[in-house]
Amino acid sequence: MSAVDRWGDNPFFVLDLPVTATRAEVERAGQKWLGMLEVGMSRAAIYTTPLGVRARTPELVRAAMAELRDPERRIGHELWHLEHEPPSTLDAEDDADAEGPEPEPAALRILGWSRP
Amino acid sequence: MTGRPLYVGIDLGTTNSAVAVFDGETTQVIRNAQGSTLTPSVVRIDGKGRVTVGAAARRFLERDPENTRSEFKRLMGTERALPFAASGRSLRPPELAAAVLGALRADVLDQVGLLPDAAVISVPALFELPQSAATSEAAKLAGFGKVELLPEPIASALAAGWTAEQGDGRWLVYDLGGGTFDVSLLETDGGFLRVVGHDGDNFLGGRDFDWAIVDWALAEIAREHGVTIRRDDPTHGAAIAQLKHAAEDAKVGLSRAGQVVLTLAAPLEIPGAAPFDPELALDRAVLEGLISPLVDRSLDVCRRLLQEHGTSADQLARIVFVGGPTVTPMLRERVGHTLGAAVAEGLDPMTLVAQGAAIHAASTALDGRPAGPLVRRGARLWLQFPAVCTDLSPHVIGRVVDAGQGPMPSNVRLVRGDGGFTSEVATLDDDRAFVAAVELVARHANVFEIVAEDAAGVRVAVDPPSVTIVQGMTIGDPPLSRSIGVALVSDHVQVYFERGTPLPARRSFTHATVESVARGAAEAVLKIPIVQGEHDRAHLCRLVGTLEIPGHAIGKTLPAGSDIELTIELDRGGRMSAKALVPALDQMFEHVAHLLVPAADPEVLAASLAALRQRVDDLRAEAFRRGMPHIIGALEHAEHDLGDVSRDLGAATGGNDDAGQRARRTLLEIDAALDEVEQSKQWPELEQRVVRTLTWAGGQVGHLGTERERALFEDVAKAIDRARAERNVRELQRQLRLANQLGETAWYRDPDTWPALFDEASSRVDAASDLPRAQALVREGKAARARDDGAELRRITEKLWRLLPHDPTARRASYDSGVR
Repeated sequence: MSAVDRWGDNPFFVLDLPVTATRAEVERAGQKWLGMLEVGMSRAAIYTTPLGVRARTPELVRAAMAELRDPERRIGHELWHLEHEPPSTLDAEDDADAEGPEPEPAALRILGWSRP
Repeated sequence: MTGRPLYVGIDLGTTNSAVAVFDGETTQVIRNAQGSTLTPSVVRIDGKGRVTVGAAARRFLERDPENTRSEFKRLMGTERALPFAASGRSLRPPELAAAVLGALRADVLDQVGLLPDAAVISVPALFELPQSAATSEAAKLAGFGKVELLPEPIASALAAGWTAEQGDGRWLVYDLGGGTFDVSLLETDGGFLRVVGHDGDNFLGGRDFDWAIVDWALAEIAREHGVTIRRDDPTHGAAIAQLKHAAEDAKVGLSRAGQVVLTLAAPLEIPGAAPFDPELALDRAVLEGLISPLVDRSLDVCRRLLQEHGTSADQLARIVFVGGPTVTPMLRERVGHTLGAAVAEGLDPMTLVAQGAAIHAASTALDGRPAGPLVRRGARLWLQFPAVCTDLSPHVIGRVVDAGQGPMPSNVRLVRGDGGFTSEVATLDDDRAFVAAVELVARHANVFEIVAEDAAGVRVAVDPPSVTIVQGMTIGDPPLSRSIGVALVSDHVQVYFERGTPLPARRSFTHATVESVARGAAEAVLKIPIVQGEHDRAHLCRLVGTLEIPGHAIGKTLPAGSDIELTIELDRGGRMSAKALVPALDQMFEHVAHLLVPAADPEVLAASLAALRQRVDDLRAEAFRRGMPHIIGALEHAEHDLGDVSRDLGAATGGNDDAGQRARRTLLEIDAALDEVEQSKQWPELEQRVVRTLTWAGGQVGHLGTERERALFEDVAKAIDRARAERNVRELQRQLRLANQLGETAWYRDPDTWPALFDEASSRVDAASDLPRAQALVREGKAARARDDGAELRRITEKLWRLLPHDPTARRASYDSGVR
């Protein structure tokens, strides 16, 4: 898979979810997109990524759900998603006085951090 | 359709079958005419052609084995038809299974008053594609219009999870049926059930316990009575069947009593000996000794699964037992103690699978009620919603597909039957569709009335007028049990779907033909073998289907090197379809031929057995000579398995087709194991290859690779280190191939690479399958090089490769594949 595909097919983009989405939210979003695609709702047929608009298919949605169900594989996607956060998001942290966004839990976990 | 839905689940077992129905809230196991929840999977056809199924047929197994058949599930997917002598009929395994399914369908009619049109049928997790296809065929023959297949462990997990009040955690489903063993590692998390992984042995079952008892009885009879009864002697068939039946009863009896006597229906009659009635007393200690190796075999599979998924015994919350043989006390104790987990109590191991299948029918909205006359009740809606759902806040999605003569709905809201919830008003969009979120009451069947209004706020009738969503445990898309790919001419496999891929799935790759197919030539046929298994050499995987492009079906001659765009599709039950688009012909081919398990001819098996024995002897001699003790251990294991094959071969010669299939399978596995032994012999060479590959590929990736390729290469290098530490030959070779691929990808970017590759391919042009075309390509390539057109030179070189010869031995091994 090319880097562009890996980025564009990131399950969080496909399901239109934040990386903090719970397991229930993943299932709910997947069920909604599959249903919308099945009845032919045009607004479900595409999704937006920072690299542009891509086609959403039932296979892609199912694969995204399967990826996020597996905790080990999910961490990889969370990191990939965070690693490649669009520059505009990072720019928002430039204000030195402002508190930055709280790091994502999965990113903390994989770096060996834990909450007290 | 009226009333509550009818979700039907069937456990089509090797020994017994069961059917359950689910109405959205509770499951009910259906009793047959004899009042039992279990129907023996036995079919009898008498001289007048009358078909009897179940307990009534089972009574004739010993008395009339020529006209009574059992355990045909183990032959599903083979082309073997079983004869019924008195009627002169022969039935294939799917036809026999259809008789059992038809009886179960009739039982549902008797108990529920409806003849179901749809059902979910469970199949062993490690069933291969031909076996699944045969099961679907059986369902159709039994009169089911729609059928879904579900892996048995998922069915039992669903049933166990549906009633379980226990919290989250990992658990094991140990499913020992009559003929197959499946073990699944599952995880529940917030009400969601996930299959972490599964493993099993397609040819280990309670029936092996019975045969172990039969073998013991044969030894006792020889000792006590001096009569030798042989499983491989067809004239001893009736005596063996009698002993087998007695062994089954004894095994069941010993789950309650400490000692039983094998009771025979009639004295044993052996040619050349007077009829005699042996009295054989069997106690639990002897039984435990007999089945202990079989239980150990199942425990090895459990440990392998737990290890593969990094689960230690203390992380395992509980074990669920499924299948008749698991009622054996010693088995439950031994498995529970060895794996160190609590055993889930209160679940019926005999009907759990059927109950789970019925629950799954609900989650896939497979309502078995026969379709009634179409009555229009308003604007017709096409609805999508989960019939069963873990989430308490799912969505109902709908679209108006036909407003009929009435007004068009403008908005929709859903009102829960108990009056406790009304959704927000969802306005229909430009597609005349809506999405509404609803709230469910936990563990209930939630009925929602669909209230639609037109633009003026006037109520509009819609059809259907309501939806029902059951809240409870569900499972995600079922995972594929074994990898599926295409056998290439080089004997390698192009993997289409990795093991664990969520189903349904679809994938396409482009292949090239290795030789031309002449139009109209009767014998010319291009074969695309589809294989299943985890080996990267095609001949070690099972052939599960062949897509053929015959000369008589093509519009014009297909040249060598032509593109074939192959798409393989798998549905949720693991059933496969494939289609090949040939752009040069503008034709599509969809017929997958020979979706059958290969026949197990005893003579062929005997020859394979002899060859493998010789191979083991040769390897052992070499291992002693070169001082390689780790190889000797592996060879002992292979030798033990060869002993099993020898016994099965004896039974196969005596007419036991199932034993023949098991022998075929074991031989294939031994062959693969010996391949690994051969490879491990070359460990020092492999170590040198590691150094060479890492040096070369690392250099290429470092010099010419992208950032992503460099990151991937680091991952591969770490995996190589792990495989070396574990001395895992297969994994090390796989990772070395990946490293090479990464190196080559980078290397191909070097402007000097393609001229060198072109020169090498040109030097072999005389051997090309289409010489004029290859010579033309060489001329084109030289011109491209002269004008320094690297991209064109690469394209031409790749085309030239397609015309160069393949290794005929590899091709034969690779099921005569015609593609690369």
